[in-house]
Amino acid sequence: MFEELSQHILDIAMNSLSANATKVQISILESRRHDRLVLRVRDDGCGMDAAMLKRVLANRWSSKSKRRKAIGLGLAFLRQTSEMCDGRFQVRSVPGRGTSVTASMRLSHIDRPPLGDLNATILALCSADKKTDVQLNYRSDGEKFVFDSRDLAKKG
Amino acid sequence: MNLEQLKQLKEKAQKQISLREGGKKYRVVVGMSTSGVAAGAREVMTTMLDEIEKQSIGSVEVCVTGEIGMVDAEPMVRVEETGGEKTVYGKVNLEGARKIVSQHLQKGKKVQELAVGQTKDKE
Repeated sequence: MFEELSQHILDIAMNSLSANATKVQISILESRRHDRLVLRVRDDGCGMDAAMLKRVLANRWSSKSKRRKAIGLGLAFLRQTSEMCDGRFQVRSVPGRGTSVTASMRLSHIDRPPLGDLNATILALCSADKKTDVQLNYRSDGEKFVFDSRDLAKKG
Repeated sequence: MNLEQLKQLKEKAQKQISLREGGKKYRVVVGMSTSGVAAGAREVMTTMLDEIEKQSIGSVEVCVTGEIGMVDAEPMVRVEETGGEKTVYGKVNLEGARKIVSQHLQKGKKVQELAVGQTKDKE
């Protein structure tokens, strides 16, 4: 199990990279007013059809399982965390268009893991694939933060 | 969530993006799979980045991949010498990460006690 939500985000976003996404958008909405935390990882990768999506959501299934290398628990972990914290978990996917994973939680829930080291997660994703653009959108009641790895690549 | 912390991200990521350009002597690959992340691979990577910066080692590229294999030996780090050997390190903790930077990347000396395998590049 992961101790931080940012570890979940890294794990889910690594799936996006495996799906050959050119863009990974991570949004985090943290609202004290509504006592809600919503995480979303959206990509424009290869997507999944309905049958594959069903298998993916069943525990311990992975596209790599034939090679006996993968665990296949990434989505299951996030689902467990979000449902444990009075939240909802949803995966939407269109073959050829991309996948979107959304997990919500009650912000004040005693079992809700902390967001943790989000910087480390984004750094790791930026190191994963030069071709993939990593975007982060963080929003809370009054604050906003936007990050886009493409902006940095231009400067550098 | 600390917004101040996030503001440092841009600066750090800028440095990281400049590090991942090719043509370096060493390429460090960290396995960032589900099991890797759970075992602490992300912290191993950030520690190595910090240490590489602190010791100002220029000729290293750090990147991330999915499973390397041998899930029980996570976190795993592979050090690839351009045109040379590839060394796979297993069960790398933060201390081990610093050791790999100061011994292998800085002095070219392998950290034998952490190595789980070595292959010669076929090229």
